[in-house]
Amino acid sequence: MVTGTSVLGIKYKDGIMMAADTLASYGSLARFRDVQRIVPVGEHTLLGASGEMSDFAYIQEQLDKLLVADHLAADGHTAGPHFIWQYLSRLMYARRSRVNPLWNSLIVGGFRDGKRFLGFVDLQGTTYEASTIATGFGAYLGQPLLRKAVEGKEDTLTKEEAHKLLVDTLRVLYYRDARSLDKIQIATADASGVSVSEPFKLDSDWSFGADIRGYGAL
Amino acid sequence: MFLSRSDYDRGVSTFSPEGRIFQVEYALEAIKLGSTAIGVQTKEGVILAVERRSTSPLVEATSIEKIVEIDRHLGCAISGLTADSRTIVDHARVAAQHHTFVYDEPIKVESLTQEVCDLALRFGEGASGEKRAMSRPFGVALLIGGVDENGPQLYQTDPSGNYVRYKAKALGSGSEGAQTELKNQYHADLTLAEGIQVALRILKQTMEEKMTEGNIQLATVTAAKGYFVHPIEEIKTLVEGLGQTAPGASTPATPTVQ
Amino acid sequence: MLSAAGPTHAGPVRIPMEHGFSPYTDNGGTTLAIAGDDYVIVAGDTRQSEGYSINTRYCPKVFKLDNNCVLATGGMAADGQNLVRRLKQSIEQYHHVHAKTMSPSALAQLLSVVLYGKRHFPYFVWNTLGGLDADGSGWVYSYDPVGNVEKRKWACAGSAGHLIMPFLDAKIGHHHQSQIDAKTEGKPGSVPFDTAMKYTKDAFTSATERDIYTGDLLEIFVIRKSGVTVEQIPLKRD
Repeated sequence: MVTGTSVLGIKYKDGIMMAADTLASYGSLARFRDVQRIVPVGEHTLLGASGEMSDFAYIQEQLDKLLVADHLAADGHTAGPHFIWQYLSRLMYARRSRVNPLWNSLIVGGFRDGKRFLGFVDLQGTTYEASTIATGFGAYLGQPLLRKAVEGKEDTLTKEEAHKLLVDTLRVLYYRDARSLDKIQIATADASGVSVSEPFKLDSDWSFGADIRGYGAL
Repeated sequence: MFLSRSDYDRGVSTFSPEGRIFQVEYALEAIKLGSTAIGVQTKEGVILAVERRSTSPLVEATSIEKIVEIDRHLGCAISGLTADSRTIVDHARVAAQHHTFVYDEPIKVESLTQEVCDLALRFGEGASGEKRAMSRPFGVALLIGGVDENGPQLYQTDPSGNYVRYKAKALGSGSEGAQTELKNQYHADLTLAEGIQVALRILKQTMEEKMTEGNIQLATVTAAKGYFVHPIEEIKTLVEGLGQTAPGASTPATPTVQ
Repeated sequence: MLSAAGPTHAGPVRIPMEHGFSPYTDNGGTTLAIAGDDYVIVAGDTRQSEGYSINTRYCPKVFKLDNNCVLATGGMAADGQNLVRRLKQSIEQYHHVHAKTMSPSALAQLLSVVLYGKRHFPYFVWNTLGGLDADGSGWVYSYDPVGNVEKRKWACAGSAGHLIMPFLDAKIGHHHQSQIDAKTEGKPGSVPFDTAMKYTKDAFTSATERDIYTGDLLEIFVIRKSGVTVEQIPLKRD
């Protein structure tokens, strides 16, 4: 079983921003170090996954089929963020009800018709929407930071601030989550569509603790 | 290329070029051979009256049952191939009980009627691939009488799966004349007692035998008593009362109902 | 992933093991209903939790099913939502088949049948259903996950249900109270609407203080003959 760790998602002024590292672990082994865990689904939606990576691949396959069917129907309907989220909730709940779950926590983010969407689905079929969402370890270490910065400021937080917030939060996770990596991707969904950045390096400081501010040093 | 009628009257799932399904129409004919059944809807309740037509004086007429209970608030009179009605009545009783089990309320008269009619077309395969339930259409028609939140109602079903609500309706061999008489004698303000008089009087006219308490059956469905089979002693009094008054007389002997 | 206590293995590598999967989770939250002579209040907070985490501050668990029926669900949110989907479908189907709206008593029985139908894989949900009967008086039906049902005048369930229940018993039912002034407190089991609203809000503000799974926002549905209205009251978000 190859797994990915936390995914983060927040609302900001112009849309949705999501972040995750590119590691897929085999237990404690950092097995694959260049796995994209946030993918675009259609023109308006981003899907981020933690948990089982081959289950995630299967989910992407199902969504691809859905999108192809939409395209071939050529009836003007295209799947939006809410649609994708609802579909995934049905899929995940149906599988948990067969006691054969898809072992993932998923974040769906998107922007369409001037509206932001940020939602969550997991292996038990639990769903919710919120202005900040974090899976895995991120729910404990990241979520408090995200809530403090975002709640009540969803309509004023700039793209730059959102970007910095996600990078800073992933850095905290990188320091404490042993199944994380300093190679990350940031994805945005706004009026111009969806985009996932190329992987980039997270800067971190591993020098002796006593010399670092906050660890005793002045 | 048109084939003769006989080529189209075998299959139950084949239309004739004129757009008819002969087996269903023949089934409708079968009902016209059945014993007469009369239903009358009044504001107080529904009356069901049938003839217990026997083929021989040696038959115990009272063993012929052509009015049956479906639920406490629902009864039904049968005309045609009565054996077929067993399937329908069983189905109707289960449907009524199921509704009460799921919704803790009595099923509506129309819903029950619809339920029965859903079964009537099961001689073909269902739209969603259900198995065909029987080889031919039913050979019975029913008069379903009942009381629900919309008051007393009378419905007639037939082998085509159609149902129609009637104020008064006659089925079976004597139905043509009886229906004409019902049209003459029915009015919306009939009391239950008057309705019984009308039903029995008309039934009497259609019968070849002399009407007695033993060769007819009478039931009513009212809000107060629900489905109620009138006892033989009461019918005796009623029949005797009919004998004393000419058809259409203004003051018939009052039956003792409720 | 590796199991912490994997099977004994000779080598230095522990073999990856399948996790135990539970199809159930408890998302917390509290629901309450009070029925009066001509109204029913059905309320619930909107916090959704999992373990010590708050998933979201707004995930409704009280649902208007039609103009005379409101259902409060508590327990596992996913099961609750899917149960509500099924009930809404059944209500619509009933409407088509029987050409009338489903009465609360019919829905109450249906819900029991639906829940019991999953007796061997239950919906992990504690339901409370409110509605007005044919006479216009309010009633509450409360359920366990497998469909046992009781018709009451008040009910509460969920993570702070056990905190609120004795409060309602005392204030609405006048149970176990030594000094009740019938003049000021009214008839037991029949409180005026404004009083019931006050009890509802007080119950939730108090529960929010003591129960970590209750808070964020209170959603109060009121059923009257004229229809259903909703009111939202902020609760503490800590």
